Amino acid sequence: MLLAVSGATVLALAPSRESLPPTTDFDARTAASPPAAPPVRAEDPDSPPTTTPSASPVSSSSAVPRRLDIERVGLRAAIEPRGVAPDGSADIPEDPETVGWYRFGPAPGEPSGSAVMVGHVDSRTGDLGAFAALFDVRAGDEVTVRRAAAPPVTYRVVARDRVDKDRLPASAFARTGRPVLTMITCAPPFDAERGGYQRNLVVTALPVTPTG
Amino acid sequence: MISRTPVAAAASLGLCALALGGAATATAADDDQAMVSVFHAVPGLDVDVYANGDELIPDFKPGTLTDPQPLPAGSYDLKVFKAGADPKGKPAIQKTVEVPAGANATVVAHLNADGAPQLDAYVNDTSDVAAGKARLTVRHVAAAPAVDVRAGGTPIFKDLVNPKEDTATVNAGTVSADVVLAGTDDVAIGPADLDLKEGTANIVYAWGSAEDKNLALKVQTLTGMHSTPSGVNAGATNDPDAWPAYAAGFGLLGLAGALTARRAVSRDRA
Repeated sequence: MLLAVSGATVLALAPSRESLPPTTDFDARTAASPPAAPPVRAEDPDSPPTTTPSASPVSSSSAVPRRLDIERVGLRAAIEPRGVAPDGSADIPEDPETVGWYRFGPAPGEPSGSAVMVGHVDSRTGDLGAFAALFDVRAGDEVTVRRAAAPPVTYRVVARDRVDKDRLPASAFARTGRPVLTMITCAPPFDAERGGYQRNLVVTALPVTPTG
Repeated sequence: MISRTPVAAAASLGLCALALGGAATATAADDDQAMVSVFHAVPGLDVDVYANGDELIPDFKPGTLTDPQPLPAGSYDLKVFKAGADPKGKPAIQKTVEVPAGANATVVAHLNADGAPQLDAYVNDTSDVAAGKARLTVRHVAAAPAVDVRAGGTPIFKDLVNPKEDTATVNAGTVSADVVLAGTDDVAIGPADLDLKEGTANIVYAWGSAEDKNLALKVQTLTGMHSTPSGVNAGATNDPDAWPAYAAGFGLLGLAGALTARRAVSRDRA
């Protein structure tokens, strides 16, 4: 319920054009922010050749994720496996164009648990990070995670929440339960005296069934 | 890469575990369960293990570690016989151990420092470890003098003697571990790669006999002790230099109103 409360609080700040359940803060903003010109993208440059014979193939369900795309909002990011920073928080790639996959948790495509992607919202030079585009995401948006030596996994966004950063729900990092993709970045307010951004934006997406 | 838990805490844990054999805490309700594993660390002797007169493990081979199984908490009169021997006769090893309710314990049949067989019950620490970490415990159950245990050549446990244990919390990952005679570089066992997965407890037994040159390592891994990272700090930086970035970023995103005021502040600072 804390989620619902904080989500609703933020809703009041953003221009809302359609009413949605208070558990999400989708404001149905049209894509007002011009997406950065999408770079021409080579297909899975990091994937090994598919002809490579493999005596013990990596399980398709635990393949390492390489790219995360949300086409509708122009989000295209490379993925790096990341762990935990010295201060105990999730480690995030320095490059704001790259997002980190929490490698101690489930990978996209695993049958259960939350595959977590974390990314900077901005950079020290003032550029937006790849995950700044999460502020434009809305329910139903398709998320594609391309993987090394495994087929892509497709998700559909179901929720976008803002939570105080010290109240990030443990379920965001669940190792069990239904499979979800959880994308996390930072959200205002910014308070330099209190360690920067005070909230997290959390976007949750569910896998699209292959038969769909 | 090794971060130590306080040595005092680790040491007291060892003492608690060893006290299992003596201190009576048989007040636990009968239906309370404990998870119990058994490790046979007496080289060269196939055995039958009896608990309270019932055969628990028949034809148990040296070097074998059973999976944890639920047992009612309480007091167990353990007897170890040479495989096939009459259980009414004199056991090779005998000891009464107390298994506390809710505990995860490992009973180890092993050699003492002088090479005589004995039984000890250790309580396994299954408390959560911090995100990104793994727990590493070493138990000296070998007929061997005091040892140091090194990871990547650096001692992490010093002067460990049979049958004590020591514990540290370390970064998850693979470490190259070896066992040396205490205070020396004389390698007694290893090196061996230990794959310390995040959120697991890894209990390494140094077992066998130095005199018989069959010292070896056995690893018991318990899972499910992972934790959640303390947070996601996904802004560029926590210092005030980030302010312009913040303002520019959310200005572009069209979050008007309150944010405009903050951008003005940032201009003042610039």
